[in-house]
Amino acid sequence: MSASNGSSPYSAALLSGLWKENPTFRLLIGLCPPLAVTAAVKPALTMGLSVIFVLVCSNLVVSLMRNLLKPHLRIIMFTVTIATFVTICDLFLKAFTPTMSEILGAYVPLIIVNCLIIFRAEACASKSGLVVSILDAIGMGTGFTLALCVLASIRELLATGRVFEIQVMPDAFVPWLALQMPVGAFVTLGLLLGLIAALTRKKGA
Amino acid sequence: MSKLKLFAQESWLLLVSSFVFGLLIAVTNAALSGRIELNKSAKLNELTRTLLPDAETFKPVEAQIEVTLPGGTKETAQVFEALSADKQRVGWSFRAYGSGFADTIELVVAVDGGFQKMMGYSVLASSETPGFGDQIKNDYFRSQFVNAPAGPLTLAKTGDPAAIDSQIVAISGATVTSTAVVGIFNAFLVQIKDQMTEKGLIGHVSQ
Repeated sequence: MSASNGSSPYSAALLSGLWKENPTFRLLIGLCPPLAVTAAVKPALTMGLSVIFVLVCSNLVVSLMRNLLKPHLRIIMFTVTIATFVTICDLFLKAFTPTMSEILGAYVPLIIVNCLIIFRAEACASKSGLVVSILDAIGMGTGFTLALCVLASIRELLATGRVFEIQVMPDAFVPWLALQMPVGAFVTLGLLLGLIAALTRKKGA
Repeated sequence: MSKLKLFAQESWLLLVSSFVFGLLIAVTNAALSGRIELNKSAKLNELTRTLLPDAETFKPVEAQIEVTLPGGTKETAQVFEALSADKQRVGWSFRAYGSGFADTIELVVAVDGGFQKMMGYSVLASSETPGFGDQIKNDYFRSQFVNAPAGPLTLAKTGDPAAIDSQIVAISGATVTSTAVVGIFNAFLVQIKDQMTEKGLIGHVSQ
């Protein structure tokens, strides 16, 4: 998240999470949701939006209290902050999207231990101003959500012939049911990471 | 005194934050709990209809039915009389819950009109381990309860899951969750049946 190459710190904070420092495809952090909730696009999108909400709120609070944080208490402060917003997010999902809350199950409370959120609190929000912290949260959260949706689209398409519950493949298509299972998540993520590594590899490196 | 001052200096932010965050969660919970309960109630009716397909309406039983949980605490059970479109009793349903492996498991249990055999159960809420404990939602495990006698159940590690009897075969790799489900049945079903018999509710046909 540097403001090098002449870009402003605001645009760098917002854009780096989308590709250059994409948490899933480039930094390989917070990989539990990409493996656990990407069998279909709808739950993946719900998880992504939940992570954006928690990330923005926790970065906002951590940034506001960054000058008051004691070094030895900062991790517990981050955890308490993140746990609060995850609980609120969980309550909202149960109240307004009960079906999705049921599908996501324990993976919503597990956002508390998603290292992406604590990583951004430590690396950015505890050292940056309010605007940069919020832009960083939006950028990282959006990058994470896009990664979840890409993975989920591939798995849902090949496992059911549909994307976002809309039939895409012809009737003759034979679904690859294995992609809906946990093994499908590992294989899809592994192939995507390999493809990205091949495409972004510097010549002569 | 100096120790107290040091403690306050070091931890005031954590204490204040914990209080504020706790307040925030309490306010959100108070604002949304009504809606969450409504969603649960709608889901309860929907799930019960899948267990008792002839049921049209669910009338709460007015008599107080108390269940003593394994920990010793007493809870009032929510029991519903399932009525068909022509107001005939087609069964009973009730909410039952207990501690699972990860969190509380909440079930909706249906029995026939005479409280003699079970019509099955559905999972209302569970956070059991995906791939293991959450198999209590699958037909493989649930079908063992359908038509089983409405009485005490026992859990076995091996056996014939297709046999219709009071022995339930545990899910492989999820013994704690399987034990929890059987425990929930034994805690709620037997006590509710006994009290409903005492109160003369079983056998009485609704008007």
